[in-house]
Amino acid sequence: MLTDLSIGMAGSGGDGIVSAGDSLMTALAIEGYFAMLTKSFGPQIRGGESSFRLRVATTPVRCPGGALDVAVALNWDDFLKFGAELPVTDRTVVLYEAASKVAPDALPLKGVTPRAAVAVPIEQMAREIAGTEKGKNTIVLGLVAGYFGLAQAAILAGLKKRFGKKGEDVLVRNERAFQAGVEYAQAHPIPSLEPMAPPAARTPRLLTDGNDMTGAAAIFAGCTFFGGYPITPSTEIMQYLTREIWKYGGTVLQCEDEIAGIGACVGASFAGKKVMTATSGPGMSLKTEILGLASIAELPLVAVNVQRGGPSTGIPTKSEQSDLFQAAFSAHGDVVRPVLAPTSVADTFGTVVEAFNMAEQYQTPVIVLSDQEIGQRKEAFERIDTSKFQLVDRLRPGDADLEPYIRFRDTETGVSPLSHPGMERGNYLASGIEHNEHGAPTANGAVHARMNEKRLRKLDPLALRRDLFETYGPADAPIALVAWGSLAGVVVEARDMADAEGLAVKVLVPKLLYPVAEEVYREFFASVRAGLVVEQSHQGQLYRVLRMFVDVPRGLKPFARSGSNPFSPDEVLARVREIAGQFRADREPVGQAG
Amino acid sequence: MTTIEAYQAKDYKSDLKPIWCPGCGDFGVVQAIYRALANVGRPPHEIAFVSGIGCSSRIPGYTTVYGFNSVHGRALPIAQGIKLANPELLVLVAGGDGDGFSIGGGHVAHAIRRNMDLTYIIMDNQIYGLTKGQLSPTSPRGLKTVTSGYGSMEDPVNPLLYVLGYGGRFVAQGSPADMAGLAQMIEEAIRFPGFAFVNVQSPCVTYGQPDQQLKFQKQRMVSLDSLGHDAGDRLKAMEMAQAYGDKIYTGVFYREPTPAPAYEYYVRDRQQVLAGEAVDRSRILDGFAPPA
Ligand SMILES: Cc1ncc(C[n+]2csc(CCOP(=O)(O)OP(=O)(O)O)c2C)c(N)n1
Ligand code: SF4
Repeated sequence: MLTDLSIGMAGSGGDGIVSAGDSLMTALAIEGYFAMLTKSFGPQIRGGESSFRLRVATTPVRCPGGALDVAVALNWDDFLKFGAELPVTDRTVVLYEAASKVAPDALPLKGVTPRAAVAVPIEQMAREIAGTEKGKNTIVLGLVAGYFGLAQAAILAGLKKRFGKKGEDVLVRNERAFQAGVEYAQAHPIPSLEPMAPPAARTPRLLTDGNDMTGAAAIFAGCTFFGGYPITPSTEIMQYLTREIWKYGGTVLQCEDEIAGIGACVGASFAGKKVMTATSGPGMSLKTEILGLASIAELPLVAVNVQRGGPSTGIPTKSEQSDLFQAAFSAHGDVVRPVLAPTSVADTFGTVVEAFNMAEQYQTPVIVLSDQEIGQRKEAFERIDTSKFQLVDRLRPGDADLEPYIRFRDTETGVSPLSHPGMERGNYLASGIEHNEHGAPTANGAVHARMNEKRLRKLDPLALRRDLFETYGPADAPIALVAWGSLAGVVVEARDMADAEGLAVKVLVPKLLYPVAEEVYREFFASVRAGLVVEQSHQGQLYRVLRMFVDVPRGLKPFARSGSNPFSPDEVLARVREIAGQFRADREPVGQAG
Repeated sequence: MTTIEAYQAKDYKSDLKPIWCPGCGDFGVVQAIYRALANVGRPPHEIAFVSGIGCSSRIPGYTTVYGFNSVHGRALPIAQGIKLANPELLVLVAGGDGDGFSIGGGHVAHAIRRNMDLTYIIMDNQIYGLTKGQLSPTSPRGLKTVTSGYGSMEDPVNPLLYVLGYGGRFVAQGSPADMAGLAQMIEEAIRFPGFAFVNVQSPCVTYGQPDQQLKFQKQRMVSLDSLGHDAGDRLKAMEMAQAYGDKIYTGVFYREPTPAPAYEYYVRDRQQVLAGEAVDRSRILDGFAPPA
């Protein structure tokens, strides 16, 4: 029986592709499967082509995977537009619309002979049974459920929920359409096709995407103020909070632009609240000046950047990891702002909570670098035990600190107690102008140097945060992979595959990207002779940042390319095999000096 | 909240020595603010005073309240964040004409239409003071400055019409040439339960034009009261505001006769209505359980 199955489906806007993916995802999560759903659209705002890929497994799913096990093409033109996002190989079963009149041995797939190709009269069945072409997606759900024995009861329950409201007649037609799909699959078996194994436990999984998770994590962390401006692919964070935050005494302010969004956050933080703003690359550029203000005024703030293809408008709907340089270095002045990156939807919870804790602890802006992939994909994942997470609140002045209150007192840690308007005797002047410990503006070079030193010293403990790095594989492995964000899952899976082939490979996944925790990398690289930093950016931005701070092994190379071109574990594995092969041949580190 | 104690102007004056040039109009503005605050009587720690960058934006530092001398042009968004975080606070915002109507001009319209209970004071000297004498958005057409050596080729912004045009609910103009009038106007603006705007003709003695200086201003000043102006009539107010750049009308141009509830009133209402739907924060992720 199968324990891991990837399904891809594409069609045109009216085909209900997205709702088919969502229905299937919900049913699988209810049944207790782990799953991941990524959707992809053409550039049109509405209509146009759309697709999803869904991977379901009996163990946690780390990445969308590579080649599809099942590809469903409601029409070939639309399917082919998704190219590398829906890869068909000789192990793929292709189900497609019979009305396309394409013969099963003449599919428009260059150089690929799929494992099986079945032309199904999907449209005709939909019209006859569901009474409308809109029933096509329900037929497909039936086909998938029928061929793989997947989640039939839960899908039917989902149909009841979705169509029940529209009247008994509509519901019955859709139930019949689903059944017809199942029966079609049974009547047209595909030789040696294995059904999906049942889930390990019948406990419903949690189901959401990275953007909603960011909103929920913020509320958990105690965030009561969000200021922002809509921008793809981050907007769902604001939308989630607009529904939820009021319940917790908070406010969302949709501002006139990103500058006002972060400005309002700085104001609310000054007034004592935990605050967050969220945006994507272009919006982050606008926020940059006020990030500097938050740094010098030492005000906690979380700024989320859900990265997309850039620069400028770039490709707003596709994932990329090309804003690392911006996050780390876009500041004016001598300043360090911590940069954290989540590796999955589930991991987004802990990462965002950590960002709030760090911001509060060190009275600093913290940047969360998510990406479109994580922000907008859905995962069905294991419940998270929220009691494991401690929350940190800013150091507030006690009575002794208020006699008199010295806002920027240079303490041993560099962290000074922070008052807020309303607190008696805590009055002070916050400013973007350099100031002395009392907050009085100054242009004195000695004071400036001392305050810079204080503001940077307070972040020193971050270099010791080994818990913000994940490692996999044998500690003495000579081959290493480094990846961050949504590529972490791809690389960890590639490592597992390499391991199964007897290759000794280890992986480092930094969740704290900046400041660079030099010692952590040094220790990790000690055994490393060769390897790859796998990234979705043309320049290989993490690789270059590492070279700035760490002596990376000579054989460590970037494996990097622009966004919108997803990486698969297979291709990473292929590169690892190459490295290992050369390694055996040379018994010397591969590659020249980097 | 506040009990009204007897506060005096000096209770709002900090020990910082202003960096302003002797004779700068902003000295008068800060004095008027001390007086207005004393009359309103809120303790300094319940007041937040936000500014941008410019000579005028130094002003919060010269008060004893919670000050925030932020970055150029962004005082209004920051002030709105403060107000929403704690609606109980009295929030003042101030800056120069460049800060408010050039770099920050985009924020003004939105602050007006959101209508939070803020008081926005512009020290309008029709020049860039801090950066030493460049053209400002309120500089008159033809003005020669270090960045308009052959004379400005553009019309000035009319701050009064700008704010009235976007629906400003309280719009006034004053000058340190009439301290008592200015203090009273600022007090009224503070007491107005919504977004209130006060344009102050505050001369720059170092880079400003001669006819902007206090003694010439006095000749151009006409109080709206003396003209029997009806401050409840927006169109009339807009008519009077046309004189900006020519006559200096002082007093209240427009005051919404029956002030609408401010933004934060709706926020509190929404919070109260929805509070019952909150779950314990530790269970926030239950919202992601698939529908059973
Ligand atoms: C982003 C940014 N751009 C430019 C400046 C330089 N700058 C500071 S104040 C100012 C203009 C000052 O004029 P105004 O706001 O009218 O205030 P005044 O000094 O006349 O009181 C300028 C251009 C800056 N500080 N920040
Ligand atoms: S330069 Fe002009 S505005 Fe600035 S302090 Fe001097 S007089 Fe005042």
